[in-house]
Amino acid sequence: MAVNYSAKEEADGHPAGGAMPGGAGGAVKTRKPDNTAFKQQRLPAWQPILTAGTVLPAFFIIGLIFIPIGIGIFVTSNNIREYEIDYTGTEPSSPCNKCLNVSWDSTPPCTCTINFTLEHSFESNVFMYYGLSNFYQNHRRYVKSRDDSQLNGDNSSLLNPSKECEPYRTNEDKPIAPCGAIANSMFNDTLELYRIDNDTRTPITLIKKGIAWWTDKNVKFRNPTGDGNNLTALFQGTTKPVNWPKPVYMLDSEPDNNGFINEDFIVWMRTAALPTFRKLYRLIERKNNLQPTLQAGKYSLDIAYNYPVHSFDGRKRMILSTISWMGGKNPFLGIAYITVGSICFFLGVVLLIIHHKYGNRNTSADIPN
Amino acid sequence: MDCSLLRTLVSRYCAGEENWVDSRTIYVGHREPPPGTEAYIPQRFPDNRIVSSKYTFWNFVPKNLFEQFRRIANFYFLIIFLVQLIIDTPTSPVTSGLPLLFVITVTAIKQGYEDWLRHKADNAMNQYPVHFIQHGKLVRKQSRKLRVGDIVMVKEDETFPCDLIFLSSSREDGTCFVTTASLDGESSHKTHYAVQDTKAFHNEQEIDALHATIECEQPQPDLYKFVGRINVYHDRNEPTARPLGSENLLLRGATLKNTEKIFGVAIYTGMETKMALNYQAKSQKRSAVEKSMNVFLIVYLCILISKALINTVLKYVWQSEPFRDEPWYNQKTEPERKRNLFLRAFTDFLAFMVLFNYIIPVSMYVTVEMQKFLGSYFLTWDEEMFDEDTGEGPLVNTSDLNEELGQIEYVFTDKTGTLTENNMEFVECCIEGHVYVPHVICNGQILHDCTGIDMIDSSPGGSGKEREELFFRALCLCHTVQVKDDDSVDGLKKSQLSRRSCIYISSSPDEVALVEGIQRLGYTYLRLKDNFMEIVNRENNIEKFELLEVLSFDSVRRRMSVIVRSSTGHIFLFCKGADSSIFPRVKEGKIDQIRSRVERNAVEGLRTLCVAYKELTAEEYSKVQKLLQNAKLALQDREKKLAEVYEKIERDFILLGATAVEDRLQEKAADTIEALQKAGIKVWVLTGDKMETAAATCYACKLFRRNTQILELTTKKIEEQSLHDVLFDLSKTVLRHSGSLTRDTFSGLSTDMQDYGLIIDGAALSLIMKPRQDGSSGNYRELFLEICRNCSAVLCCRMAPLQKAQIVKLIKLSKEHPITLAIGDGANDVSMILEAHVGIGIIGKEGRQAARNSDYAIPKFKHLKKMLLVHGHFYYVRISELVQYFFYKNVCFIFPQFLYQFFCGFSQQTLYDTAYLTLYNISFTSLPILFYGLMEQHVSADTLKREPSLYSLLYTEMLPRMLCCAGVHLFIGHS
Repeated sequence: MAVNYSAKEEADGHPAGGAMPGGAGGAVKTRKPDNTAFKQQRLPAWQPILTAGTVLPAFFIIGLIFIPIGIGIFVTSNNIREYEIDYTGTEPSSPCNKCLNVSWDSTPPCTCTINFTLEHSFESNVFMYYGLSNFYQNHRRYVKSRDDSQLNGDNSSLLNPSKECEPYRTNEDKPIAPCGAIANSMFNDTLELYRIDNDTRTPITLIKKGIAWWTDKNVKFRNPTGDGNNLTALFQGTTKPVNWPKPVYMLDSEPDNNGFINEDFIVWMRTAALPTFRKLYRLIERKNNLQPTLQAGKYSLDIAYNYPVHSFDGRKRMILSTISWMGGKNPFLGIAYITVGSICFFLGVVLLIIHHKYGNRNTSADIPN
Repeated sequence: MDCSLLRTLVSRYCAGEENWVDSRTIYVGHREPPPGTEAYIPQRFPDNRIVSSKYTFWNFVPKNLFEQFRRIANFYFLIIFLVQLIIDTPTSPVTSGLPLLFVITVTAIKQGYEDWLRHKADNAMNQYPVHFIQHGKLVRKQSRKLRVGDIVMVKEDETFPCDLIFLSSSREDGTCFVTTASLDGESSHKTHYAVQDTKAFHNEQEIDALHATIECEQPQPDLYKFVGRINVYHDRNEPTARPLGSENLLLRGATLKNTEKIFGVAIYTGMETKMALNYQAKSQKRSAVEKSMNVFLIVYLCILISKALINTVLKYVWQSEPFRDEPWYNQKTEPERKRNLFLRAFTDFLAFMVLFNYIIPVSMYVTVEMQKFLGSYFLTWDEEMFDEDTGEGPLVNTSDLNEELGQIEYVFTDKTGTLTENNMEFVECCIEGHVYVPHVICNGQILHDCTGIDMIDSSPGGSGKEREELFFRALCLCHTVQVKDDDSVDGLKKSQLSRRSCIYISSSPDEVALVEGIQRLGYTYLRLKDNFMEIVNRENNIEKFELLEVLSFDSVRRRMSVIVRSSTGHIFLFCKGADSSIFPRVKEGKIDQIRSRVERNAVEGLRTLCVAYKELTAEEYSKVQKLLQNAKLALQDREKKLAEVYEKIERDFILLGATAVEDRLQEKAADTIEALQKAGIKVWVLTGDKMETAAATCYACKLFRRNTQILELTTKKIEEQSLHDVLFDLSKTVLRHSGSLTRDTFSGLSTDMQDYGLIIDGAALSLIMKPRQDGSSGNYRELFLEICRNCSAVLCCRMAPLQKAQIVKLIKLSKEHPITLAIGDGANDVSMILEAHVGIGIIGKEGRQAARNSDYAIPKFKHLKKMLLVHGHFYYVRISELVQYFFYKNVCFIFPQFLYQFFCGFSQQTLYDTAYLTLYNISFTSLPILFYGLMEQHVSADTLKREPSLYSLLYTEMLPRMLCCAGVHLFIGHS
């Protein structure tokens, strides 16, 4: 287009009389193109031609690099201790079977206890997760059903939540705080861990702070502001989410873990990408260097079973896990590295044999035909 | 008086409806004609404003938006954007609105800037001061205020503000010189002639007193055609009518040279000038890649729709269980529940469309256009394609066709000026069978010795001597060469060329060569002064001939004539032309001897012309003059009438002799043709020259090799056998061989395969192309194409310009739809340049018309090699990978999104962040590939030039790759 134009410009421009600087005499000199590497398309270029000489070493090098990396990752992943219990209670034999059809507001809550044995001790800090399956936290209607400005402590949004929260926006003409489907369906089972040592149950200290992202806790989630620090007063005029037993300002006794900045709440509000997910529930810190965090032996898990999942074929799990530099247990990455490395190495060997046996026949042909 | 007025009115309206439409009447100086002669009907003409801009300040936004949304991709994104605004969609309208806005704004800014430049140019031109005459005084006004009928004065080195009829000049003889460099690029000075009756008016008052009307045709774009008539009123007498032709017309855009000032009357103004009419947009050629891009777009649209459909269906299957549709933790609102199922399904479908819409690359058109535009600079920057002699580099008139240069299968080339230098040199002449050769000295210097003639045969007798003199005079007189007595020419050259300080200029290099050649044989053409041609004969005496008529050259007649009166009062008609057009008109002379000499010369690749004459008696001449005058005055079909008259006049000649002019091959023409053939390109030579000359050139430039078997399909052969038989015979010969051999793509390389070369002439071609009554013409064409396909080289000689275009069209529309390229340098090649997929003009000697109408222009034929083999190759590889990458990246981008729907309950949840969605197309992925698309060289330029066969590989490899890449992309998308 533009080129078309410039041709025209040339034709139209000249009769305009001196509109164009530089007469014909000067133009002749400057019309000769510059002899630069860029303009003459002679910039250094790499034009690889795949030959046995370059391909074979490449295969071997890839193989030799990938296999050790893979082994390293695999070993690290295997060293991570992980223990998982499904406590949904769908099987009749399960202790939690009696709680299978609980509703939200059953009081007192249905409780059940599951005993389990750890074969290996957990040496470093242990992370305690709850896991849900078949729970579509990534459903679009679900994902957007929240009001971020309300959660950020915006007072006007507190009393007038976003329309996105529908149908969990208001209850009995009062705005819900926190509004939306995500908050409404917050996980509310209580898990307690006991170590059974010669029939004595010693509770294990579960730390509930430090499980949320720093930015979420300190930036994204804020309690509403106002006079004083009395959360009850600050949440005045709002009502609790329908499914919650108690309002948001009574989630915890500690003021820096209450209201919107309750860490369990924050963890729940960060929606999972897939329908089967796990979320961090508690931390178990190593007390001293002499003892492992969780010794091998018998344990029991006390569950206050409040969260119904049977209606949508869901499952609930409790997971104990240690972590390493590469995060949680993930054998796939190591296996993938080893597989790719092995295939490359194998191909390298095969091609080497082929090259050695037949390679000399056509040394001349570089150009494919 | 009233009656006569009425009569003229009536006759005008009744008889001349057609006349009224096709011609206009201009009142010179807005003076009414004397009453009784003709009705004064003022006509309205546009003013002299030139508008090349597309937009005005007010209509820019709506008009530009309209233009932009006519492009499918833009319109598609607009629709998506609107859908996003209306329904509840997974992504915010910003994600598609912003890229669209970006693309639209960038394009609008670019177009706006271009238009602003045009406005500026327009304004500069429209406000340029012009001198014109009002009430006998000179007035200065802005150019745009000029009106039809105004008398304008133009000084030396000024450009003409509109199309003018040349009334008078400051030169005594009523001539002026102009250059049309900015119109058609020809920088030579052309002579124009003032109207006979007005050329005596030299000052404002005189010219203002002129009382005349001009009748001429309505504006039409052909720069070289004009017919009109001027009626000059002298007092009360009957008006004198004079014919007006293009020699009286001064075109807007041309520049006055060597003339102090001229007066002219405006006849076409503003947008009606021939220049403005010529810059109307040519029909756009579209490249094959662009077409395939649209196919891709449609394929991807189908993929998009099917994806959306699949997901919608799956969604409703999956949701059929209520706990999935509405689990307790994720309830719907009341209105959502109540909504009609079909409406819901349709909104879901649209939402999926929106979700997957990024599969269509929004920025592709912009990136591709940028790549083409910027990439074309590499062509103009190429040092190797710069010609030192002419100071010209390659020109790119359209960058849209860059990649076509890499896919050429057929090259149609002109011979003269393209394959050959068009630098003529007089070699010999043959008078009545005696051969004369001007003295040539080995180191290229020429002796100007009038006795230095080698007579190969014995000296002719008495009557021969007479004929010889006539022959030389004929050559000296029968031409349209102008003499430029310019002092600025360096003395050395001057003294070499001629004894007298003059340089010959002509639009035809043959003529210059002839006149110069004759000069070496002792006869020098001096000048044309006051209609007298002066020549110096061997005895150094000046002879004067009055030039009575010039029957100018045209490519149909292929000859030209002059009628002159010698000082002794004898009237001669001298004619020179191609042998085929002279011989049938000759009644006496040594035809056989001359014919054999002409044929011998033609075989050697020389251009031959025959010269003949006849003497006219005074009565005959007056008859001729009358005929000519009538034809010249005709407003309609003047060309045709003139041709008829010429036909009548030019007959019964006495043959004098023949000349031979050598046209050397262009530098490296053979090398280029060989490389092109190795690259699998079929080279056809289309020329107006005669068969023998053309064939000799073909051998010289290695189009035909020694082992090439020549097949002839010429008029001579068809006369012996019927066309049908000839065609079938040829096809049998050709097919027998190609059938028995396995097809080798390296047609030029394999020596064991029989090469065929076909020679066909214009008459035979028109027989083949002529539709037949029984409807079997299709067969002939097919058969002809079949023969051509199996020949490695084809030579078409005796081609009219339109026939050239016809051949190109024939190949272009054959069933393989090959990409064709036409290359030529002259006006006669324009039609084929416009017809072919890619038209290339040679910036050559025969003016710049071809270069102007071409898509690319190069200085020399040899540059074609690098242009195709290197630049074309690069462009094609680059654009292919660019387009493929665009679709590939978007499939890669969107396919995970598609798969994710299976994991989020088909709820149209997005996988990517909004900002990422927005920027992915407009910057993250379009800029890197743009640089790749500009710089990529997968093979070095030297290798490409060394191995022309890589060119054909490119074509055979890239096309299937392009076709199957969509499938491949989908697979890659999976992983």
